[in-house]
Amino acid sequence: MKIKSNLLIAILVLISSCNNKKNDKEAIDIKVNPKEDSLNSPKQESSNNAYAPIDISPMDMSYYPVDYPKLKMTGAIKIPPVARVIYSRPHLQGRRLFHDLLKYNEAWRLGANESTELQLYQNVSIQGKKIKAGRYVLYCIPQPDKWTIVLNNNIDSWGLQPDSTKDISRFDVLAKQNKSHLEYFTIVFEKIDTGAELVMAWDDWEARLPIQF
Amino acid sequence: MPFQTHETSIFVYNSFMKTSISFFIAICAVSFLSAQTAGLPPLDKSPMDMSYYPYNYPVLRIQDKVTEPIAARVIYSRPQKAGRSVFGELVKFGEVWRLGANEATEIQFYKTIRIAGKKIPKGRYTLYAITHPDSWTIIINKDTDTWGAFKYSSKKDIIRTDVPVQKSDTVVESLSMTFEKTPAGCNLIVAWDNIKTALPINF
Repeated sequence: MKIKSNLLIAILVLISSCNNKKNDKEAIDIKVNPKEDSLNSPKQESSNNAYAPIDISPMDMSYYPVDYPKLKMTGAIKIPPVARVIYSRPHLQGRRLFHDLLKYNEAWRLGANESTELQLYQNVSIQGKKIKAGRYVLYCIPQPDKWTIVLNNNIDSWGLQPDSTKDISRFDVLAKQNKSHLEYFTIVFEKIDTGAELVMAWDDWEARLPIQF
Repeated sequence: MPFQTHETSIFVYNSFMKTSISFFIAICAVSFLSAQTAGLPPLDKSPMDMSYYPYNYPVLRIQDKVTEPIAARVIYSRPQKAGRSVFGELVKFGEVWRLGANEATEIQFYKTIRIAGKKIPKGRYTLYAITHPDSWTIIINKDTDTWGAFKYSSKKDIIRTDVPVQKSDTVVESLSMTFEKTPAGCNLIVAWDNIKTALPINF
């Protein structure tokens, strides 16, 4: 029993020490929802980097075709890419997505730090609506069984407080729960017959936005 | 006395085991937490980042503190020094270096700018560098959306320009890029290990 309680304490201490570390980049002096801003993982490099400390929620990008830059490098593909998403990846740290982090009917930035960006290299069609090539902010309004995915043109912004007056289009997609547990928020593209799906997954939740081209 | 010693050593052993088991479980918990489900990408070892000019532009925007228009953004992945000697060893002098990791480092200009007197139209470009002990050749190339410098072709260069190397006593662990305001525009600052360079961008 003593061993067990030791283990528990060790784990709790570890998790809480992760939670206590704050992201410098997020420490901005607007009204920040502390819950939202703690959607972050432990820092790898402390603030001794005077130029740009490493973000707690690291940035990542996904292309369609999947792994486009590698395909281009190896010469396996000659045509331009179709789409790319640039987003930051918060992590759960023992919390649950809809118990601790997100609220239904409130805008969720689908990332962290800088606004999540969807770049379309060509015109596409989403749920029958034509979307022009260009760069868009992507955010989401989750509801219990569906997520509203919003394309917005307030590009080069920070993820908090999306400006809904600059929404281009909103698309409802089914949100489903599965058995997996995804620690880091993840966005990827997957091929479908009519184009590609933008797959957004975190915790045991997954939503897919089909894009036709 | 021998008995007591034995008792003590068992106690020491037990508490050692407890500590190490706790530690082991804690480590397992951490690695479990950072594991991603198969099929979806794990976290990159060299995380990606972006920097804007004006510095912190996205934050300035939501704070209504923007005082000058957006001019540039760089997107790059950040390898770490991790105890290695970087320039001259990890990054070989005289060879094209990708100034990052993973996807090719991208610089986006939001308006026409000038570098070393040459006009460069707004758009996205790939950044490379050739390092030397005292200077770097910074390369701006138009082949975007690629990986590393493995397929680099000088035929697609827009400009090559040399910038001096500044040495510092402080070590920067992760490759870092940022923009600094100058009278003529801004400098793209690149810093890693004990080296720093500044690429003047005029607009």
